[in-house]
Amino acid sequence: MELDQLELNQTLQESQPEGKTIPYLTALIGWSLPAIEACDKLNRPFVVVGPPDFKDYAEKHDITFVGWEFDRLNEGSDKLYKQLKALGAEVAVPLYEECVEWAGALNSRFREEPRLFNRSLLLRDKGMMKRKAQMAGIKVGVFEEARDKEDVKRFLKRVNDALLKVDGDKNEPIHCKPLDKAGSVGHRAIDDPSDIDALTDSDFPLLMESHLDGQEFSCEVFVHGGKIQFLNITEYVKLGYSNFVPPSPSLEEKRPIIRKAIEQLIEAFEIENGVIHPEYFIMPDGTLHFGEVAARVPGGHIFDLIERAYGFSAYEAQILCSDPNTTEEELRKFFPAEDDALGYAGCLMVHPHVNYIEKLTIPEELEEHSFFEKHDMFTPPQGKVAERVGFGNHYGTIFFFGDDSAEMTRLLVDYEKYDFYL
Amino acid sequence: MPSEVTEGKIARFSRSLSRLEEAPSYAKSRYQTDVFQEANRLLETEEGLEFLYQYAHRFDAAGVFQDGPWEDPSKLQPPLVAGSLQAKGLPYVIEMLSDLRMLAIAEGKGEHPKVSQEMAMDFLNEVMALNLDLLFPNASEASRIEEKENTVETQRLFQFISQYLSSSALSETLIYEIERLTAQRPITVKRTVSMIKMAKEMLRSETSDDQRAMLESYVSSIEGPSQLSRSYQQANEYRKQLMSLSTEELRKESEQLGLSMRKTGLCSPHHSVLARFLSRKSPHLLPVLLQLTGKGKANLEEHAELVHQLIKVSLFPSTCQSVYGLALLLERGVLSASPVIPGLRRMIELDIRPEVRSALFNTVSEGEGLTANSILLSGVISVLGQPLGVGQGLNPTCQAARGISLWAQHAPGYLLEIIPRAARDGDIDMVFEGVQIHSKDLQGGLAPDLHPELDPVSLVLVPHLDRIYSEMMSRVALRGEDGHRWVNPAFYGNWVQKGFSTVIEPITGSVTDYPGFVRLFYATHHPEYNDDYELIYPNPVGIFITNVHGKMLGFHAVSIQRIAKSPDGEYRVYFYNPNNDGSQNWGQGIECTVMGKGELSGESSLPFEEFTSRLYAFHYNPYEQGDAYAVEAENISMVKSLAKESWGHEYTWISK
Repeated sequence: MELDQLELNQTLQESQPEGKTIPYLTALIGWSLPAIEACDKLNRPFVVVGPPDFKDYAEKHDITFVGWEFDRLNEGSDKLYKQLKALGAEVAVPLYEECVEWAGALNSRFREEPRLFNRSLLLRDKGMMKRKAQMAGIKVGVFEEARDKEDVKRFLKRVNDALLKVDGDKNEPIHCKPLDKAGSVGHRAIDDPSDIDALTDSDFPLLMESHLDGQEFSCEVFVHGGKIQFLNITEYVKLGYSNFVPPSPSLEEKRPIIRKAIEQLIEAFEIENGVIHPEYFIMPDGTLHFGEVAARVPGGHIFDLIERAYGFSAYEAQILCSDPNTTEEELRKFFPAEDDALGYAGCLMVHPHVNYIEKLTIPEELEEHSFFEKHDMFTPPQGKVAERVGFGNHYGTIFFFGDDSAEMTRLLVDYEKYDFYL
Repeated sequence: MPSEVTEGKIARFSRSLSRLEEAPSYAKSRYQTDVFQEANRLLETEEGLEFLYQYAHRFDAAGVFQDGPWEDPSKLQPPLVAGSLQAKGLPYVIEMLSDLRMLAIAEGKGEHPKVSQEMAMDFLNEVMALNLDLLFPNASEASRIEEKENTVETQRLFQFISQYLSSSALSETLIYEIERLTAQRPITVKRTVSMIKMAKEMLRSETSDDQRAMLESYVSSIEGPSQLSRSYQQANEYRKQLMSLSTEELRKESEQLGLSMRKTGLCSPHHSVLARFLSRKSPHLLPVLLQLTGKGKANLEEHAELVHQLIKVSLFPSTCQSVYGLALLLERGVLSASPVIPGLRRMIELDIRPEVRSALFNTVSEGEGLTANSILLSGVISVLGQPLGVGQGLNPTCQAARGISLWAQHAPGYLLEIIPRAARDGDIDMVFEGVQIHSKDLQGGLAPDLHPELDPVSLVLVPHLDRIYSEMMSRVALRGEDGHRWVNPAFYGNWVQKGFSTVIEPITGSVTDYPGFVRLFYATHHPEYNDDYELIYPNPVGIFITNVHGKMLGFHAVSIQRIAKSPDGEYRVYFYNPNNDGSQNWGQGIECTVMGKGELSGESSLPFEEFTSRLYAFHYNPYEQGDAYAVEAENISMVKSLAKESWGHEYTWISK
């Protein structure tokens, strides 16, 4: 073990620019096995900063670990920095939504760039994020922050007034979401004022925005030195249920417009290194509406799909891009061309349609379809289905891979309606 | 619908296993799911096991079980296997793979640092013996009627494994299991009987002559211990045959049935038929059927009229076990206690409440023409004959079972008083610290939904006793001391001593003066230190129940019956464990025995210091204390280390 370490350090020494501390650890902020594995594969020594519950597991498997509670407001970030610095950490990579500002704080200390921290905060407050985008001339919907139910009622009314709805017309929904939660966690669409009563004090403050039409998609952008190194586009078949990579030809042909929009976003948010995961709505005429952006591993198994479609590990890509010292050459060698996908990789996240699960049925046609790769569902030993919050946790995932985006879409649409759980 | 093994499925499984093998140890969980999925596809097929077994020796090293409950095969327990196999989803798949892994170790194909070839073989033998209904699917009605998960796949696994096991090793395990169960002479024998029925299937495979003879004798003990009874399985036909026997033939028949009953504690319906027949036609042969000693015979003679009546009212094919109960009741001389005779007579005429009646009827099969009084009386006979055969069944009601057992031993009159109260009035009352507590006014208890696999007396009494005990405990819950101190004497009666000591300081939940506790137990109970005061009445004590790894599972109530030297000269605690599976393994090498160490039927035993190490509370007579100071320090420290390294992990020790 120690010998291996020694060797590892030597190769690092050779590949690192002068003046870098040894061992030059990467700090993975958040507990994620695929990220740990990616770091390991890259031969980069690392330390994991994660919830204290994982300490035993980390010890059992000889993983350098620092326990940290991200949720708690904490004055002790200096302590965390010093602890990591003493271990030799130089780069922090955020893996989950609530880790983003911690990684930002650490990186700003590592690089002595205070603004890095503020930039990361921008990504953690959806209200601030929207405002920043709007100020940079990016098209966003109408939005406001709400502090109480009255704010929500007024916003719903005013949006619909602006849409010239008269009494008796069905309201256009507005969307409410927590300011600082990942993706669809806690997301509600409200069109009926009586729905507002279901909100509780703990839901506030929240962000309200008008409903945006158009096809929704996300991008996973690997950025280094402020430049796009690789732009992945993920087509959403149904938000929270199914998506695939790369997108179908009709969306793929918009790639130049999308790339421009991303460049604008990177500039506005002053993003230098790492991965960003923005969501957009695209209108048939090519107009893009900006939804939101995160700087972490996206949900929906998108990183797995990228790996299947393009053959590179998105986790490794994230780690490489997060380190300002990664060279141009390394990056060029790492990423394939964006039009060089091996096929379409998609997945369906299965939510039970029942409240109590008796058994699992997987239709034979599914398993025998040439696109079917695998699934991870077993009959749960305990049948009661947990109540869903937002899009909740799905019960299983089915992975597909094939050469036809239309067939992929058909599979994802058809099986989304199928009752796997009875 | 069985699907087929295809090259594709095997290749996919093989690939998923290789990927898992290559994964670093911390990331195994990412790749395990795929292995389980692919394994499941193979398990659905007829020959899938064959293919999976070819990979089974690689499972451990690959990390198939890593970081899960199946990780360490040395910690797996045979009794849990069937439950996992019949669970839905993932546990079933992992259990299947784990058993194949065990087979690979047993066959020398795979190696494990903690499990030897023999250990693996023993494990599989025990699993098989415990689950013969899965190995021989037709043996048990119940398994056919009750629809369970994965039945086909599980049976396939058992057939597959059994090809590798020697049938004689399996028979040996099975015989040992039956021997262990019968040694305890439980009143409820359903489990024993179903094991023996399954053992019948073993007679078809190759076994040694000794084993065959053993198995056959168990089978005949429940199906007909004599030539005649075997030939005439139907009770009415057997009865007809009895009429044509000569006195000498009848004596021989009685002797055969009697010996078998005394040997195993098991009766066949023929026992009842014969007892009724003899009682009417040849009463002088009853002592032969019951295999009575001089004392028993004297009792029978003295109360011939009553016994005749008891036989007539209570012994039927469905209640045949009470023939054995009757024999022991006479041996114990219970009828000589003055309240017993009127108490028994009262059972015959008792007006039983409808809900009690239907609970009693559920214990026998339909269409037998029995009255609820007959069933109850047969139950009373069994309890009075076999006080240590009372069990709590599948209920958490050890206190109530302990009470019934204690009263059956020392206060049969009282027991016969509360049974009619419960069966007729639906109420039992006890006075606790001047307050009258009526069970009919109480709700809940530990077992609001009683599992019905119980003897008739427990069925009637436990719901009441359980509620009263709970009520008493809640009345003293806030006193800052272990409530058993007051509740036990009030509940069980004056047979329980007033002195009381406990390990845990109830307010802080910590262990304070452990050596003091141990010394006091020695000084009041160990014959070498307690001035030779013999234990007269069972002492209800509390113990920590620990599993085979010594991990604490909870509290349990047992009664110390006596403390004596075993045949090989070591002091042992002989105790009554109401959960009727007395030979439990409590970890740290502490294994309760039920036979071979001087135990009487129904007793469990442990060496004195091992028992002490699991004790958490006991009663003692404050006027009968011996020499606490004389106890050797090494005994104390041995007990203490056993305690500290097992249940002690769950508590703070502020004790020296």
